[in-house]
Amino acid sequence: TSVSSAGANRNAIIVSHRQKGNPLLKHIRNVRWVFADVVCDYMLGQNSCALYLSLRYHLLHPDYLYFRIRELQKNFKLRVVLCHVDVEDVAKPLLEVTKTALLHDCTLLCAWSLEECGRYLETIKVYENKPADLIQGQMDTDYMSRLNHALTSVRHVNKTDVVTLGSTFGSLSNIMDASMEDLARCPGIGERKVRRLHDTFHEPFKRAV
Amino acid sequence: MVQFHQHIISDLLEEPSGGVVVLSAGLGLPKLVSTLLTLHDASQGSVLILNASPSQKASIDADSRFPSITADLSLPHRLSLYTSGGIFFITARILIVDLLTRRFPTTALAGILLLNAHSLSDTSTEAFIVRILRSLNRSLYVRAFSDCPQAMVSGFAKAERILKCLYLRKLHLWPRFQVYVSQHLERDPPEVIDIRVPMSTYMIGIQKAAIEVMDACLKEMKNTNKVDVEDLTVENGLFKSFDEIVRRQLDPIWHTLGKRTKQLVSDLKSLRKLLDYLARYDAVTYLKYLDSLRASESFRSVWIFAESSYKIFEYAKKRVYHFGRSASGKPIGLGKVASTKKRKLDEGNKDEDAATTGLVLEEILEEPPKWKVLRDILMEIEEERQKQEISGQESVVGNEDDRNGNILVACKDELSCIQLQDCITKGSHKVIREEWEKYLLSKVELQALPKFKKKKPKAPKGIGILDGVIPSVSGQKADVSSVNKLENDALMAAAHEISKLAKGNSDIRDGGTNKEHGKSEGKKKKHVFSEPDPESDTGVQSKIPTLKHDEVRKPNAGHVLKNTSESECLDKRILRKHAQEPENVQLSSVFFHALENDKNILDILQPSIIILYHPDIAFVREIEVYKSENPSKRLKVYFLFYENSTEVQKFEASIRRENGAFESLIRQKSLMMVSVNQDDQFLEINSSLEPQSVTAQNLITRKAGGKKGVEKEMHIIVDMREFMSSLPNVLHQKGMHIIPVTLEVGDYILSPLICVERKSIQDLFMSFSSGRLYHQVEMMSRYYRIPVLLIEFSQDKSFSFQSANEISDDVTPTSIISKLSLLVLHFPRLRIVWSRSLHATAEIFATLKANQDEPDEAKAIRIGVPSEDGIIEDDIRAENFNTSAVEFLRRLPGVTDSNYRLIIDKCKSLAEVALLPTEELAALMGGHKAAKTLRDFLDAKFPSLL
Repeated sequence: TSVSSAGANRNAIIVSHRQKGNPLLKHIRNVRWVFADVVCDYMLGQNSCALYLSLRYHLLHPDYLYFRIRELQKNFKLRVVLCHVDVEDVAKPLLEVTKTALLHDCTLLCAWSLEECGRYLETIKVYENKPADLIQGQMDTDYMSRLNHALTSVRHVNKTDVVTLGSTFGSLSNIMDASMEDLARCPGIGERKVRRLHDTFHEPFKRAV
Repeated sequence: MVQFHQHIISDLLEEPSGGVVVLSAGLGLPKLVSTLLTLHDASQGSVLILNASPSQKASIDADSRFPSITADLSLPHRLSLYTSGGIFFITARILIVDLLTRRFPTTALAGILLLNAHSLSDTSTEAFIVRILRSLNRSLYVRAFSDCPQAMVSGFAKAERILKCLYLRKLHLWPRFQVYVSQHLERDPPEVIDIRVPMSTYMIGIQKAAIEVMDACLKEMKNTNKVDVEDLTVENGLFKSFDEIVRRQLDPIWHTLGKRTKQLVSDLKSLRKLLDYLARYDAVTYLKYLDSLRASESFRSVWIFAESSYKIFEYAKKRVYHFGRSASGKPIGLGKVASTKKRKLDEGNKDEDAATTGLVLEEILEEPPKWKVLRDILMEIEEERQKQEISGQESVVGNEDDRNGNILVACKDELSCIQLQDCITKGSHKVIREEWEKYLLSKVELQALPKFKKKKPKAPKGIGILDGVIPSVSGQKADVSSVNKLENDALMAAAHEISKLAKGNSDIRDGGTNKEHGKSEGKKKKHVFSEPDPESDTGVQSKIPTLKHDEVRKPNAGHVLKNTSESECLDKRILRKHAQEPENVQLSSVFFHALENDKNILDILQPSIIILYHPDIAFVREIEVYKSENPSKRLKVYFLFYENSTEVQKFEASIRRENGAFESLIRQKSLMMVSVNQDDQFLEINSSLEPQSVTAQNLITRKAGGKKGVEKEMHIIVDMREFMSSLPNVLHQKGMHIIPVTLEVGDYILSPLICVERKSIQDLFMSFSSGRLYHQVEMMSRYYRIPVLLIEFSQDKSFSFQSANEISDDVTPTSIISKLSLLVLHFPRLRIVWSRSLHATAEIFATLKANQDEPDEAKAIRIGVPSEDGIIEDDIRAENFNTSAVEFLRRLPGVTDSNYRLIIDKCKSLAEVALLPTEELAALMGGHKAAKTLRDFLDAKFPSLL
């Protein structure tokens, strides 16, 4: 309905009139939003939508979520149930919500504050067409970050150790080639770290079977 | 055998079902266990030893008579071992898998020995094992041990809960103050000489400053009103366990804490290390550590900006060098300054022509006061021995014993061992000088190179802070940066000079083993630093005539050391023998031992003199035990403490803490409510908690008999690797049937449709940044209708990602919210389960499975297993790989998902990769560009931090 009319609203979150008065709206600041008649609570793009559910409300109306999901029908690829965790004892209500969402093809996202709820909505909208590079393992490409990334994969090795190792040996290949004794000479690198590092570098990739 | 060990063992044997033994650290737990094992007879069945650390393994089983059972052994091999009646070390992971797949002949088992009992909880795999074993074979015994009483009281009724989860009722407490123990150990105590070494003025200054900052941080912690004030004392702050105390209190509310409080927690940790290292490291190494710390610590650090912290940096620097106008050229009045040398900076210095004139870099190079004392002690021992020799051989036996007796110097770490050894062989001045040269060299090498693509701008602020001058210090503020620059240049100039010489010398860089000696020789020839070098060397030596060998022996010093290492029968890394040349009759043999190596050094060496360079309470107990085992041996023990230092404080506090722990355990024991016939009732106990569990456990036996249960039982397929976590245990408690297999896709298969990848919070963050999660979800989505990501929160930590104030103003790519959002956008079919605790997870699994078919084991195993290019199932199993190396490799630039397997196939180890030239790498990785990226990264010079 309103989707077609609002070409200008393509970059906005379309909010259902049902959500009027929800304090969550205050926290959608980085993305424009407009009210419209939509079946979901928040329309976040062509293919994605979200339902908002406060756990406290769920305790009072346990069937609400199910009916809302049924209403959605199969119009969206991504159907988010945005669950605001606002009760102390979460185990039982969260179990019910999890089950309902999972069995009815919804993705459950939990948030612990209205800010967090708002941020999820904003992010999903902003990232609508974003490639997945960010979570595919690419990261900062400067030397120190990469070196930290590699060396701290060895258990117990921290960033201070990376600096110590780097400034002692001068380069990564020197670190990788260092003897146990040389490693042990570095301040802050104790027996355990020495062994871990040495094993990582000198034990064969494949264990003899 | 030590007498009280007999008492412990006979107490333990009285109870057929076993018991838990807690004894003081250092009272010979490994020996106790190996004595107990000698009583074992193969006809009783096999004994399995669980949860032993590698060093415990080594000291329990010195002759390696007991094989280890791990996943590497084939199943038939394992089975034959289980039934052989022998004694084995075993990993909990493989044992639980064998128990669950019912391969385990439980009747062939006599019992279990469980070490490190303090690490148990009712959800740990060891508890899981004991529960299943007990249900299958009631007659076996479980004997659990711990020598860490402090850890047994960390938490509510922990001892009682440990007893319960092992179905035991006997708790045996053996503190050092127990009558038998103390009687026995104090009957014939060793001769003790307590030496208090005064710290140098600057050390005192640093310690005082560090304690002040620590105190300030603690006060600030108190102001947050989040932590129990009682525990927040400087004394507690000296211990590692302090972090636990604080974390235990803060973890449940971690998300509500502000940045500042969190920073305080990590600052306290840094400060504790600074205090610890002050007594352990020499001045130069300490400065180097401070430099590293400063460079890596975030600018948010509270402590770095404290007024007193400034003093720490300042004093630490002053222990090493002084930079200033020549007017202040006098050595700062310190008795212990070994030598002070002035060196005018090169007039021709390109960078700073005018400014340098009149500025002098003085080397102070303060030696740790303990060095000299150690030397004196060794001399004294030598003199005494010579005197005895001269005065004839009265009391032949004792004397003989004494003369041949080894001298053991016990230090905390390897670094101190190496240094002290060098101190004795080369003279202490040389050692500190070498450290200094290394320090300077590491600086110049970094500086000389073109800046590697460093994105961070070198803001003046950065320089100021990195040089340890706090901008807020008034007065100096005006010329702070310029003075710093000059100082920096001076250091650089000094370093350049050394490096020039170093380059002149042959093979210093590549010379491997000779590196050290090459350098010192070179210095000799070229007089690197100084005119008065020879004099000062002899100056040091003239004080200790017995030790003058440098001059004579320098040329073949390398030779001597090499000989030593070759003739060394023991592990070279553990013992460093200071061998004397035959014509040198002085010190017979001095050994250096690093306490962190945790080896049974006393029995190996049989020393008659022990010098505790870094006193440690557990080691003191070991000495006591050693002495009581060898009552005829004359034993002299020297304690070397820094007077009024945190070292003393920490030592004394560790005794108090242990005693406190035992007192609390004794109290707990008297109040404990363990049912008398617990092991008869355990099934009922269990069934009252979880109505289904009995049927489940019975089912196991029933099925083994070939029958099938009538009631519907839930099956869950679990990946082998998941047995590191507690979830399988809890699922089993809930009455589900666990099928352990190796899965390529997913961790838990609930039904033919549902596949679950479990992530703890920490895993989640890490696998997002490594990209692993993306890959895993991709695989799950490819093979299963309902791929599920289980986000598992820890029960005792807060149930949330972050605190409200951590949410930034705008959408940021680094936030976990952004990453999760991106994940759900790319995988709209992915379902996410948020679980508060293990028990909640089990509940959710049961609910999700309710109307689903049971999963198919054979099918689950096949899924995702690459069948092309001859990769067979077993090859991709994690246990066949050095996972740490593979993970490291995959994080290197140029290495991708598609080429890392090629590298692994064709290279032996990372060290080998590090040496391959670009062309060979290109051939390996199937691309020149990737190979060059990797090679460049490996060879890139570490950027200068100054």
